[in-house]
Amino acid sequence: MAEPLAHAVSHATEDHKPHGWRRWVYSTNHKDIGTMYLIFSCTMFFIGGGAAMLIRLELFKPGLQFFDPQFFNSLTTMHALIMIFGAVMPGWTGLANWMIPMQLGAPDMALPRLNNLSFWILPFAFTLLIGSFFVPGGAPAGGWTMYPPLVLQTGAAFPMLIFSIHLMGASSILGAINVIVTIMNMRAPSITLLRMPLFVWTWLITAYLLIAVMPVLAGAVTMLLTDHFFGTTFFTAAGGGDPVMFQHIFWFFGHPEVYILILPAFGIVSEIIPTFSRKPLFGYEAMVYATASIAFLSFIVWAHHMFTVGMPLAAQLFFMLTTMLIAVPTGVKVFNWTATMWKGSLSFEPPMLFALAFLFLFTIGGFSGLMLAIVPADYQYQDTYFVVAHFHYVLVPGAIFGMMAGVYYWLPKWTGHMYDMKLGTWHFWLSTIFVNVLFFPQHFLGLAGMPRRIPDYAVQFTDWNMVSSIGGFGFGLSQFLFVILIWKCVHGGEPAGNRAWEGAHGLEWELTSPPPFHSWTEPPSDAVIARGAEH
Amino acid sequence: MAAGLAHSPSPQQRRVRRAALLWALIAAGFYFGFIVLTLVRASR
Repeated sequence: MAEPLAHAVSHATEDHKPHGWRRWVYSTNHKDIGTMYLIFSCTMFFIGGGAAMLIRLELFKPGLQFFDPQFFNSLTTMHALIMIFGAVMPGWTGLANWMIPMQLGAPDMALPRLNNLSFWILPFAFTLLIGSFFVPGGAPAGGWTMYPPLVLQTGAAFPMLIFSIHLMGASSILGAINVIVTIMNMRAPSITLLRMPLFVWTWLITAYLLIAVMPVLAGAVTMLLTDHFFGTTFFTAAGGGDPVMFQHIFWFFGHPEVYILILPAFGIVSEIIPTFSRKPLFGYEAMVYATASIAFLSFIVWAHHMFTVGMPLAAQLFFMLTTMLIAVPTGVKVFNWTATMWKGSLSFEPPMLFALAFLFLFTIGGFSGLMLAIVPADYQYQDTYFVVAHFHYVLVPGAIFGMMAGVYYWLPKWTGHMYDMKLGTWHFWLSTIFVNVLFFPQHFLGLAGMPRRIPDYAVQFTDWNMVSSIGGFGFGLSQFLFVILIWKCVHGGEPAGNRAWEGAHGLEWELTSPPPFHSWTEPPSDAVIARGAEH
Repeated sequence: MAAGLAHSPSPQQRRVRRAALLWALIAAGFYFGFIVLTLVRASR
């Protein structure tokens, strides 16, 4: 009698965790897959960052210093592709994997084997993409936007580029299906849609965007493929095609893609600011509707990327006005985050510091976006470093800082240890100072007329390029502090309580730190939800 | 073995499968729809 009972008890408490390489290769566990996504994202961040360092090295002085122009163009192209598809998107999917089931009271993602597949597609996709550096003709050099006819001059790397984009797209779509099905079907019974944490909401909307636009990119690159290999002339003027059509199709994908990169950061900031203000989020429902509005508007603004290509005045006005309209829901968000802090009991641990930097610096990126939306002004800014400054403000202190804020926020939950606060604070200040030294001068360079995507420049641009490069090296080196901090935290540190932060609310904080291998095997009770799921 | 196979899915599992199938169809429709459209157009 005693033996079966002991067996049952050991079954109830053990994790059934597979060991060795099988745990990772065959994993169907949302936390393990989330960890793999995050490690992959971090690796790509350093590879893409390495390309950025080389770009800044070449641009430190006028004249050609180290690289021939073709290789320089490969660096800019690959930097963008690796950062967007390799660092930011998988980083968000990693956080979604870790947090969505825990925040919804679900035992795992709804489709665990699909989850494994969508992760393991990525290493193959990026081996193909990065391997293109080593084939005749070198890596793609026509820009991440792959505009024809230039991109059709790519050498042996061309089919590798197209196939890797297809693989990344497939991975993203499978991940998005998993997120939608999980959120719509796996929530604990009393977590209604309007009781979901904002991170879950923003990811749900991101997943819809992914399903809507990744196929458009797949279609566009397939047309490029047939133009290159099968004699079609979709984008070749000589055969009756239209190269500008590619730009329309690409940006119909590309603009929602910008929101795919940033919406989850909105969700994370909406979790962190209330925690460290010790107040509920101001205007929860307005935040949900603002996110949905931004997603909707993202489909009707694409041609603001191509004002100078040539289009009817009515089209220019339409796209200018819809673009400016995005400032309204974004303004609602910035207002609500600020109002959440108003009269709060603020404290400034690393997650809050990164969230605040996000708030200030993303807003700068938003303002320069408004400037670019103005058609006559855009005629001056187009294809200058002003555009580079704008989208890097949106993506680095925006998306990347948002992701870092999320990692700093949930790391104690994941590892069960508090991290080195001093090191985190150093990482924050060095990153924030250097990111501004890196990107702010690029506004000046752009306004003075320095074109983007060039390995050499006129001497009058030297000083600000040097400053920008110094900022770049400083920012790049600072990121090693982040890796050291995570390494130290994984391997030890003060125990973090279940609720690692005093003001934290949400179901994830009701689990142990670190959470069990299978979290919420039973749906949380209403009492637990009431305690945990307040906004 | 047979007992394992005869295990009938819970209502939640059925909902998950239905939703997964629906979204897979929508995504595949978009994805392959665009590509097929491309190829059909190319063959004209």
